[in-house]
Amino acid sequence: MDAAQLTQQMINGLTLGSLYALIAIGYTMVYGILRLINFAHGDVLMVGCYFAWFGAVQFGLPWWVALMGSMALTAALGVLIDQGAYRPLRQAPRISALITAIGVSFFLENLGLVVFGGRPKAFARPEMFNHIYQWGEVRVLSLSIWVPILTAIILAGLILFIHRTRMGMAMRALSRDLVTVQLMGIDPNRIIAATFALGSALAAAGGVLWAMKYPQINPLMGVLPGLKAFVAAVLGGIGNVTGAMLGGLLLGMAEIMLVALLPELAGYRDALAFVMLIGILIFRPTGIMGEELPE
Amino acid sequence: MSQPILQARGLTVRFGGLTAVDRVELDLPEGQLAGLIGPNGAGKTTCFNLFTGRIKPNEGKLTFAGQPIVGLRPSRINQLGMARTFQNIRLFGELSVLDNVLVGFHGGLKSNFLSAILRLPGYVAEERGMQRRAGEILELTGLTRLRDEPAGSLAYGQQRLLEIARALATDPKLILLDEPAAGMNPQETTGLAALVRRLRDELGVTVLLIEHDMRFVMKLCEQITVLDHGKVIARGAPHQVQRDPAVIQAYLGAGEGEGVAS
Amino acid sequence: MPRNPHEKFGLTALLKPGGLLSPGALPPAHQTRRRDTMLTIGACLLAALGLWLLEGHASGYVVHLTCVGAIFATLAVSYNLINGVTGQFSLEPNAFVACGAYVTALLTLSPAEKEASFILEPLIWPLSAFSIPLLPALVIAGLLTALMAFLMGFPVFRVRGDYLAIVTLGFGEVIRVVANNAQSVTNGPLGLKGIPHITNLWWSWGLLAVCLFFIVRLVHSSYGRALMAIREDETAAEAMGINAFWHKMLAFTLSAFFEGVAGGLLAHLITTISPSLFTFFLTFNLLIIIVVGGLGSTTGAVLGAFLFTYGGEWLRVVEEPMQLMGLDIPGIPGMRMVIFSLILVGVMIFLRRGILGRHDFSWRWLLASLGLGRGSKA
Repeated sequence: MDAAQLTQQMINGLTLGSLYALIAIGYTMVYGILRLINFAHGDVLMVGCYFAWFGAVQFGLPWWVALMGSMALTAALGVLIDQGAYRPLRQAPRISALITAIGVSFFLENLGLVVFGGRPKAFARPEMFNHIYQWGEVRVLSLSIWVPILTAIILAGLILFIHRTRMGMAMRALSRDLVTVQLMGIDPNRIIAATFALGSALAAAGGVLWAMKYPQINPLMGVLPGLKAFVAAVLGGIGNVTGAMLGGLLLGMAEIMLVALLPELAGYRDALAFVMLIGILIFRPTGIMGEELPE
Repeated sequence: MSQPILQARGLTVRFGGLTAVDRVELDLPEGQLAGLIGPNGAGKTTCFNLFTGRIKPNEGKLTFAGQPIVGLRPSRINQLGMARTFQNIRLFGELSVLDNVLVGFHGGLKSNFLSAILRLPGYVAEERGMQRRAGEILELTGLTRLRDEPAGSLAYGQQRLLEIARALATDPKLILLDEPAAGMNPQETTGLAALVRRLRDELGVTVLLIEHDMRFVMKLCEQITVLDHGKVIARGAPHQVQRDPAVIQAYLGAGEGEGVAS
Repeated sequence: MPRNPHEKFGLTALLKPGGLLSPGALPPAHQTRRRDTMLTIGACLLAALGLWLLEGHASGYVVHLTCVGAIFATLAVSYNLINGVTGQFSLEPNAFVACGAYVTALLTLSPAEKEASFILEPLIWPLSAFSIPLLPALVIAGLLTALMAFLMGFPVFRVRGDYLAIVTLGFGEVIRVVANNAQSVTNGPLGLKGIPHITNLWWSWGLLAVCLFFIVRLVHSSYGRALMAIREDETAAEAMGINAFWHKMLAFTLSAFFEGVAGGLLAHLITTISPSLFTFFLTFNLLIIIVVGGLGSTTGAVLGAFLFTYGGEWLRVVEEPMQLMGLDIPGIPGMRMVIFSLILVGVMIFLRRGILGRHDFSWRWLLASLGLGRGSKA
């Protein structure tokens, strides 16, 4: 492989990795606070894409308005799921909440099939993401440049939020222990709701960018990105936002490089994430950013 | 009696920056009723966890019945003859009292799972033996009446007794009791003391116990080891330990309401 | 976690002491063993008679459904052994069923049939050159699946709780990806066609009987008590001399064995298999079955499987066009799964222990409930 191809693949890996990172953060934040694998996260992403699709295609809104609207609606959906399905199980064994999350995931997928139909819908790529840049031999879609940039902006905002605002600090405190938060005088349920809102909004953003990349959506589109993003979160060290970003980038790069370097194994790409997951749990169960695995 | 049944040499474990157990030495003679005391957070339960293999020491050696045991699985250490109870009761809550005790026998089972499924004569005989011995243990601990109750529904004191019963089922040479009298009323405590004595006198089990009830410890134990901040600060017969200035200092310094000489 | 074995919600209340279906203390099992064995044999003969009548008189559709029910019951009972009895929440049965189905089908398909199916890449030798009868094929498939579980167990049981769930789910995905890509063994996405239709009521119910024999007896032995002890408190179980790792392995490989064999029978019932049949969706269905039946209850797993099979058929009405008060309502395909998902979530929130909780059927219980056999020669 020559340098041009390598550069091109690196950019592809960065783009894919950014998308995984955006989705992984929602997983890691919820896990950090509730110790719950929010199985439905990938499907929340799917619903977010349909929101954006309705906004952009049906109502003809500018893409960024549709994106913002979708993020807001998806945030509400995340909160609704938490309040309706997870909150009644806060005191229950953790496995009960996990089973419920699996149920919610299938509920969203099948409701999506019923409401939106199984046929994929085309997701038009906005003009500014549809250029092809060419430097020498390297040909890159402008979307592939914009995705990492947008991701970086969103993540910078997120990090500011969790380090500088009262709610953000409460989230971090809650993921360590509950007592501090109660001392701070913030209702833990509000923090949990805020976490779901934020994680879901990020999933919607990730989903919409994902949809622009491919560019189509269907009710089962969230399953694989969701699972892989969870793996990314574990790779990075679950509960850790920076780790989730690194894990996402690592996974995206690894997948693209597998396809680029070993094309005969391209069909196994979807298995790579899980092989990495098994590997990391064996050799470094704390993930890259290394917090203790809870028992 | 020459060889101690449990021997610790330079036993050290650190959690992060904290040295929870610091170069602990211990020689527990076979057949002794021994006590391990110290203020809260002194590292007593951590010692039990080290002995039973639940956590691994950073440094030091442990010998049980002449065999080094550092690095063995807890189940293996138990099969060698060391059983324990838990401070924060860990019964199999949904299983019946009888089944809790029967579980204790499982580690010593010789039949494999196929002979258990097919109910081969060897397994049937073993099962019958386990049922009989479980009945004896329930009788000894006074739990016979409750044999079919789910363990989780028992009163606190009974749960502590069931923990001992379950540990006895593993046929131990040494039993570690972690605060067996906690939460018991005076009458139950008296019964417990009698039971512990019988374990040693009639069954020949060596006993090492952690307890905050000083009257209980002083009356029952023949040898007491005092831990403070992970270190052994005193060792000896109850009346010696009681007067030891370092011990008094440790308890006063810890600012607890519990006097040593109560 | 509430330790009270009798949840205040729902049907389990009936099983509470003093509840409708609870006769109070039962006579000890060993006193009634001979009687119970006779009753079991009698019940098996009765069931066989029922199957014989069904075979002769029921429609092909009902017979097919009853086969599917038995296969799902076998799967659910096996899955419940690791998830419910041992308390190791795992999500890989689709992988085991796939393994069993593919292995059995590859062993029974005739060389000519294989050559016709494998269009893109020929099947590797020696699989391409021979075929064997179903029974040995099922045994081989079961053993291979068990071996796969055994190898999987080493990495998998290093983790617990929801990590275990995710890692096992990952294994399921890996198997599906392999099935899609290993053209020269699995025929890729095309799958295998023309598998002989051998599975009938006797095969499927025979397997269920064998599976129940093994698993019920395991659960009611010292090993079963050890598995439940691990579920209740792994640390305490270890401290009581139970090697948690090997016991989890035992439950895992045994359940994999039966899931593999059941997968083989499934392949010979539906005659066409492809990777899309063995997605996480299959595991999800089994999960609903064992959760609704009551995680940890073998009886509940069987009950759940038949409720699911027949209930699922019955629910097809929601997907068909219907007339309601003079209104034409078009059918909504996919609505069944929406309902199933809602049932799962609803059960978790309102009836967490499912229909039977952790109770299991026994003759002693039945007879005592009917007011018979209490205190029999005590």
